[in-house]
Amino acid sequence: MSATPDQANPVRAFVAQLWGSVFRHGLPTNDKVAARTALTNFFLHIHPVRVKKSAVRVSYTLCLGGLSFFLFILLTITGLFLMFYYIPSVDTAYQNVSDLQFVAVFGDIIRNMHRWAAHAMVITVWLHMARVFYQGAYKPPREFNWVIGTFLLLITLLLSFSGYLLPWDQLAIWAITVGTNMAKYAPIVGPYTRYLLLGGDQVAQGALIRFYVLHVIALPLVGFLLMVVHFWRVRKDGFTGGL
Amino acid sequence: MATVVEGGRDPRGTVTPRPQAPVPGPELASTPLVIRRREDEETVVTFPYLVWREFLAGLAAFCFLLLVSIQINAPLLSRANTSITPNPAKAPWYFVGLQELLERFPPIMAGVAFPSFVIIFMILTPYLDRNQSRRPQDRKVAIVLFTIYMCLAVAFVVIGEFFRGEAFNWDWTLILGHPGLSSPV
Repeated sequence: MSATPDQANPVRAFVAQLWGSVFRHGLPTNDKVAARTALTNFFLHIHPVRVKKSAVRVSYTLCLGGLSFFLFILLTITGLFLMFYYIPSVDTAYQNVSDLQFVAVFGDIIRNMHRWAAHAMVITVWLHMARVFYQGAYKPPREFNWVIGTFLLLITLLLSFSGYLLPWDQLAIWAITVGTNMAKYAPIVGPYTRYLLLGGDQVAQGALIRFYVLHVIALPLVGFLLMVVHFWRVRKDGFTGGL
Repeated sequence: MATVVEGGRDPRGTVTPRPQAPVPGPELASTPLVIRRREDEETVVTFPYLVWREFLAGLAAFCFLLLVSIQINAPLLSRANTSITPNPAKAPWYFVGLQELLERFPPIMAGVAFPSFVIIFMILTPYLDRNQSRRPQDRKVAIVLFTIYMCLAVAFVVIGEFFRGEAFNWDWTLILGHPGLSSPV
């Protein structure tokens, strides 16, 4: 008999079939299999098969764009957990957040992580912008991706700002009062913008539900869409690489 | 086993030339910072080379945040109360720079003109900068202007956050402590 080990052993044959049904290749032991892995995997397809070695040096990118995206995913997951407890009503919101912080198992760690990751993301997105500027990576053909990046920076700030109100404590309500008062100074549209944003003349239930909807649905959705386009264009335009 | 990519076809169907070892010609040696063409660059497979690095960076970031989150609690003050105004009332730290501007300039300038100018200028940056070179020595003006902007932005946030006390007045005691007391109050 010249049966291969897989044919001789039905368990091994099944495992091989199972692996083959999910991954169309073996472990990446050489460049050929590694290239197939990147080509046939949905999640890895965000990358080209090969990149310039100088473009992926940690000292060149400082991982800042990647870290910003990682923090966005982490914020989405921790935010999802927070949503199980949080009810966006002025009567319950503060109690919900207090329960998360002091009662719910691991609630404090999830909330702390959401908070610190949000601050960290503002910083990493900001530094990513600085990195791209100093390396002139916004120059043709990447002009429009810089524009998308600008909007992503604004979305990041708005996401953080809208989340700031949700704990409904003294820090939240007064920071949002100060922040939205700045909108008043715009000529003509200023007071109307503020009224639209707050759903009233002061920070109350109307503002809470508006900021909540913006924070958990509208802004993440717009941000995600812009991110998809941002990454797609990075993929298509290629990495700039060493100076 | 021979690799498929070198001398093979990339996904767009164009023949990818086998990467050549860079031969330092006389003109390359004299100006080492010319923009190199794609064929001159050494490339690596993204999987696992790049993906592994991304995984490590994500893991490090996660562990760092986990440790911070175990050690430091997110702030939670008393329940919101519109009749008790804290003094000073400050915006979130990334908008404190704007609040600091409002302290120094008329509202129409600080609250509207400056931020609009910054956002519009940022969006237009790649179209206004006609300089094609990416080399730092060719971009002195752009780098100096951007660095000034970055320093001002950070300075205003630091001032607003750490040097503004009651009624948003200048207050050294936030970082230096009260005269006669051993620790900051």
